[in-house]
Amino acid sequence: MSRARLAKYSLWQFRDFAIDRGIAIMIIGLLWGYTLIAPMRAAMGAAFNIGPSSPAWPIVVTVTSSVVSLSVLIALNGIVSTDRKMGYYRFLFSKPVSAVAYYSQVFFVYMAGVLAAMLVLSLVLHTVVPAFKIVNFLFYAAIIYIAMGGIGFFLSVATRFDWLTLAAVWLGSRVVRDFNGPKPGWSSKLVELLPPVHKLDEVSMSIITSGTAHTGDVVWLLGYGALFLALGLFLLHRGSLAD
Amino acid sequence: MDGLLATTDASYPAALVIEFRNVGKIYRSLLGNSVKAVEEFSLQVGQGEILGIAGPNGAGKTTLIAMMLGYLRPTTGTVEIAGMPARAYIERNGIGYLSELISINPKWKAETALVRYATLAGIPESQISAHVNSVIEKLGLTEHRDKKVKALSKGNLQRLGLAQALLRDEQILVLDEPTHGLDPVWTQRFRGIVEELRRPDRTILIASHNLDELQRLADRVAIIDHGRLQRVVTTGYDQTQQAVTRFRLTLASGHERIRESFPDAEEAGKGEYDVTVRNIQELNTALADLMSRGALIASVVPERSVLEQQFREAVGESQ
Repeated sequence: MSRARLAKYSLWQFRDFAIDRGIAIMIIGLLWGYTLIAPMRAAMGAAFNIGPSSPAWPIVVTVTSSVVSLSVLIALNGIVSTDRKMGYYRFLFSKPVSAVAYYSQVFFVYMAGVLAAMLVLSLVLHTVVPAFKIVNFLFYAAIIYIAMGGIGFFLSVATRFDWLTLAAVWLGSRVVRDFNGPKPGWSSKLVELLPPVHKLDEVSMSIITSGTAHTGDVVWLLGYGALFLALGLFLLHRGSLAD
Repeated sequence: MDGLLATTDASYPAALVIEFRNVGKIYRSLLGNSVKAVEEFSLQVGQGEILGIAGPNGAGKTTLIAMMLGYLRPTTGTVEIAGMPARAYIERNGIGYLSELISINPKWKAETALVRYATLAGIPESQISAHVNSVIEKLGLTEHRDKKVKALSKGNLQRLGLAQALLRDEQILVLDEPTHGLDPVWTQRFRGIVEELRRPDRTILIASHNLDELQRLADRVAIIDHGRLQRVVTTGYDQTQQAVTRFRLTLASGHERIRESFPDAEEAGKGEYDVTVRNIQELNTALADLMSRGALIASVVPERSVLEQQFREAVGESQ
């Protein structure tokens, strides 16, 4: 009964995603893609034919993977914290609905929304760069949504400034890992606990190009995100919705 | 404290529905400061009862309700509904809740908001439209149904909040400052709506600053201050008999006879007099005497309601 209620409500959640976040993701994705691909096309003229062996291919992968990261950031922004900050939880959860089930569903509905947006953007890119494989790109987007989104979900439950915190954690991990390097000692062990952002370059290039990646890297990314998603749901179950 | 409780066993309805057991809530800041919002609060609410919760600003009413709804975890004690942890009960059955602050996404349209809440409440899809139309009509929101929430006035927003609480035939209703922002006409209508909602199998909690409203609607009123239950007042005839001592009389004629029946009557102007009596019997005897002397009485009004009197005593402002 409760599941059926929530399943029906998922249509409203998807609509919220489309209006509040989907449009923004599409506009940013199209603008970003256009401003980077158009100059290359203009410069190369008739020779414009980007493929995996082309020198421009890494740029395409970097741009598209950045669009995915940004989209996840937009999708996860305030996924839980907005309802708490604005007090919307009061009427929502006076109904026979579990907050854990509700927000789990929101997480996966938004994932469907992000993938739908990525599908449209990749279709557009595919018309300009036929070598760009839509399925590979969607596979990559799904992995990043779980990896980055899981952390974003946890932060949205734990803090009010989740967007800022997620961006800081994501970028901070990158900077710390780059500066720390592969040094021995306890500091390196601590760094290993940070989000596995260092694996993204390799994983994005590998998956977007060939649809495959090192299994260990993918499992590490997915596991890290899933763990934080579970922690977020646990915190939601044990904690208070009100301040 | 026990000596102050006005509740008797006879005033407890048969079946226990909501139970606060030694509930406490302490807010702690990151800097280590702490504020006790609620302390050792114990109270039972029965089936069919309308319980009022009164208290000054910051007394802990809203915190108490948030704990009852499972939105806040008590620091100590438990809140149970029908023998289950409060949150578990609500997740299974739902309740009708009107919060003090009406927080509905401002981008939603009034009718759409109700359809969403009806979906979450588990109203079958084929009946959602009928339920939504019914509450829209009942709360006078017909002309506002297509407006966005952000375009609604405070009073209309309050009515929308009440509408979502009444979407389903709930066994438990919790109304936090329900007439806040309503005009006098709708305040009056609201009272009628609550009276209609009274049912032997339904429990209603109303938190309000408006003591007159609680006096009229509630069977009992829990007065809280500084997070503690100060006393529980039963709002019936018996209490009136015991507690009200001062009345204002308005005479249409026979002003010169007033002190023959009420020797201590004080003139308050415009044909009105303040009189002090020990109890209702004394009041009635004196009124009968006054009328037998040819005076015409236009009205007799307690200077303060029982509840107001008790409230002032409970929060330490008795004059």
